[in-house]
Amino acid sequence: MEAKPPPAAADEASTAVPDGRSSTIPSGENTVWVDVSLLLDAACRDLEDGELIHGDNFNLFAAMSALEIMDPKMDSGMVCKYYSVDEAIENGAAPVPISSDKTVDVRCTIDIMDHLLACEATWHKGHSVSQTVFSCIYLLRTDRTSSHVLLHSYCRIIRATCKAVISVVSDARTHEEEDLFTMSYGLPLSGDGDDKCLSVLNAVEETICRQLRACKAPSSRRKVLEDIEPLQTNLALEEGYCKALLCRLRFRKHFYHVLTCLRRPQGRGLELARKHIASCISELECILSSSEFLRTSASGACEDGLEDKTTASGCQPVGFDANLNSRLSAPTPPRAIQILSWNEAVKYFMRLLHDLDVLCSYSLDSSLESVLHFVVQFQKSQPDLVARAHLQLLLVQDGKLHGRDPVFAVITRAAALPEATRNHDIQKNEFIVQLGQLVINLLKILCTNSAWQRRKLGKIIQDWRVIYLQLEMAFKECGENSNVSNEENSIVKIFQHILVWVEEQTYWIASRFLILGFELELYSPNEYCMVYWYLYVALVKLAEKTHLKMAVTNGAGKRRGKKKRDTPKDVAKDYRIPPAVLFLQCQICLAEGLTMMLAALRNEHGILETRSPFNTEYERFIQHFELLQKASIPDHVSYPSFKESTTYARFSNILMYNYFKDAQRIVKEVKSSFSNEPDKLAELRRLEQVAEHNSIALNVISRVGTLDPSLKVSFEFNHHPYFATAVVKRS
Amino acid sequence: METKTTDEEEVKEAVKLEASEIEYVSYGGEHHLPLIMALVDSELSEPYSIFTYRYFVYLWPQLSFLAFHGGKCVGTVVCKMGEHRNTFRGYIAMLVVIKPYRGRGIATELVTRSIQVMMESGCEEVTLEAEVTNKGALALYGRLGFVRAKRLFRYYLNGVDAFRLKLLFPSPLLHPSLAMVADKDDGNWHNDHIPIEECSEVH
Ligand SMILES: CC(C)(COP(=O)(O)OP(=O)(O)OC[C@H]1O[C@@H](n2cnc3c(N)ncnc32)[C@H](O)[C@@H]1OP(=O)(O)O)[C@@H](O)C(=O)NCCC(=O)NCCS
Repeated sequence: MEAKPPPAAADEASTAVPDGRSSTIPSGENTVWVDVSLLLDAACRDLEDGELIHGDNFNLFAAMSALEIMDPKMDSGMVCKYYSVDEAIENGAAPVPISSDKTVDVRCTIDIMDHLLACEATWHKGHSVSQTVFSCIYLLRTDRTSSHVLLHSYCRIIRATCKAVISVVSDARTHEEEDLFTMSYGLPLSGDGDDKCLSVLNAVEETICRQLRACKAPSSRRKVLEDIEPLQTNLALEEGYCKALLCRLRFRKHFYHVLTCLRRPQGRGLELARKHIASCISELECILSSSEFLRTSASGACEDGLEDKTTASGCQPVGFDANLNSRLSAPTPPRAIQILSWNEAVKYFMRLLHDLDVLCSYSLDSSLESVLHFVVQFQKSQPDLVARAHLQLLLVQDGKLHGRDPVFAVITRAAALPEATRNHDIQKNEFIVQLGQLVINLLKILCTNSAWQRRKLGKIIQDWRVIYLQLEMAFKECGENSNVSNEENSIVKIFQHILVWVEEQTYWIASRFLILGFELELYSPNEYCMVYWYLYVALVKLAEKTHLKMAVTNGAGKRRGKKKRDTPKDVAKDYRIPPAVLFLQCQICLAEGLTMMLAALRNEHGILETRSPFNTEYERFIQHFELLQKASIPDHVSYPSFKESTTYARFSNILMYNYFKDAQRIVKEVKSSFSNEPDKLAELRRLEQVAEHNSIALNVISRVGTLDPSLKVSFEFNHHPYFATAVVKRS
Repeated sequence: METKTTDEEEVKEAVKLEASEIEYVSYGGEHHLPLIMALVDSELSEPYSIFTYRYFVYLWPQLSFLAFHGGKCVGTVVCKMGEHRNTFRGYIAMLVVIKPYRGRGIATELVTRSIQVMMESGCEEVTLEAEVTNKGALALYGRLGFVRAKRLFRYYLNGVDAFRLKLLFPSPLLHPSLAMVADKDDGNWHNDHIPIEECSEVH
């Protein structure tokens, strides 16, 4: 691109002329306004096709931000029905009351409530709040609705709820790439007296309750209740409308309670939150079942109910205009967005409530190990942002675990140090302080979405490695200075424990990093061999450190743990091996078995071999594991070691050292130790199934493999999310 | 790249042709621009302004290729390259082959040519983004040696995740501990295919 800069013309020529610029800007001391029209004309005549006048900062971003005006695909149009909220209101886009016919008014109010629910779910799922919930004109001007108590109370609780949700997400700062979520500039999020929104809502609920009672009462008793004005004028519909409104109002009330209970410090509101969650779910069910009544009573008023409708009745709601805020929406050009259907919205909230319920069942255990286990388990169902933000705030408050346990106490417990150590002065050591921050940071990262989480884990591995080295140096120093005084001795002991634990934790992070790659589908089948190999090496280290930590605690085996890793077979026979280590051993067997099977398939059958025209397996290895390699996780492990251990893999050998059979045996042995932990038992059962199927596949391949060149082997994740099962077919 | 959802089955009204009938040419000037634009416009959902096309083809004409069959343009690839966090990297911005011509290696030939030029120009790696659901493109790049380096959460406006694909060229100097990629956070521009990090370079 050629720059032809008569500098003054540069801005004029670009599509974005900053507005508000006018001749009223006075000339400066050394400047004066000049008419450049002629210069521009001349420049234009000089331009060849394809040339452009641009400033220095014209880059790809600028090029892509440009819109071609009137191109229907690009220019979603700033032309909208109304240019301001006031104009929309003046033109009757959001009348109060919605209709002078009371029945119609109630029907429309319910549609507004439903559409708001759909908007709210759409927002939670990743769109801006301004283009979703705040496309509601009533919400943008709540003061107008004060005469319409029903609509007014609903709008206020919605607004308070949005505010609460935004505050959870921004406090948790897990918003990852989802910054759009909390962007709410220029929106009337705080209204006067929103703290009273619940009492207003209760009053409205009370009135409708009475109206419902009145219409259900036998006619003989009607007289007594006569002073109660019905909700609307069509008596045949009174009961249905009352019920439809009640469940909607109650859902809002309980949902708001859920949010506030979850925010109570140190998880004190969890039990109560659970009750409100149960109520929310049952109200949602009522909302769902009200849809039949709403659809039939609205028939005629609306087109036939299609699946993508945003209301239970299937009617288009009154009082929404997504374009009004489009200029506030995001740092991007405005685009039309698709609001979730009412059905999907209800489903979303069901799921959210379920996730929050799981959260509330959490027992605020102070052992880091069980916290990590819980988080990983919770993340398995891939909860959405709001649930994850709550999780994080529950785990980390005021820099303490659960807002209660100081990090150093958590660390000493994780490092299997005696209870008294938690008050030791060593916690003031700068590296220990840093380690504490790493722990907090790790917990926060584990609450983010898995794509983001994996990237962050890849980066913090380096930090964990560095802190290990620093602690090790500090440890050496104090070892040298110590004159075997008791006090010094205990410092040495503390360091020793913490060092082992830091390594264990680092390998835990590394294996989580590798495992998440499966969930995110980052590995293709021809890379499985190297991935399982790396996982195998990382798990071996993890098991080794876990074992060492436990051995140090029992005082028995400082030396034992340091010796070279036992083969799985010897280890499994050793009855003193803790179940936690055996559990890892089982995974190690599977990872090793899969590595060898994949390697043999390639070596003997040429299956899953790829030759790329531009690079080799080495480059792919580097790309996948470079973050681990940079942090020397594990030490002395690199591409050559991978090649060394896989180049000679043959089926005949694998059959002899049957890794899958070993895994099956370990599962049988260790099962009883986990009888109180259903999660772990289920995991063991899955591992067992993988072992069983692969063991059979192995036999089949080695029996018929050499005779039948048409053998097809593929790998599936039908028994376990990251340990694959071989599927053998003859074509 | 965000792609239009199409039913792959409808593609079967394929055209009979010999590989030798396809002619590949490097971007040759303004007269090629409408051809590229028409092709990309018809296959990728997100519209690009003419500035975007020109940005690529004017700065890196040697990296863009077109495939012709009997005078008709049936496929194209558009790329760039430049310094990126201390790495000289190539970037594949757009790749399209029209439906009746798919499955005959045309796309493979097009990208291979671009990658070849990138390699010869000293690039250390090549990257691109593809929708996680774009099986065809993922298979194609996988065979060329690309690795799925990371997943980008809800990368596209339609809410679909993307993979960042990377092809690392062999380097005699490469030592694992010195290896490139000092990754910072990924900028995420929900709005378009080409990520902000590719956009924010100053040339
Ligand atoms: C992706 C696209 C460019 C492929 O064009 P193409 O000319 O058909 O690709 P090729 O013939 O070179 O395919 C090479 C290999 O890719 C894989 N592949 C391509 N399309 C595939 C598909 N639909 N399903 C599975 N694999 C596919 C195959 O491995 C194929 O090799 P094979 O034919 O020997 O099995 C084309 O489908 C297209 O234009 N799609 C729409 C735009 C798009 O998605 N662009 C890429 C964005 S990143």
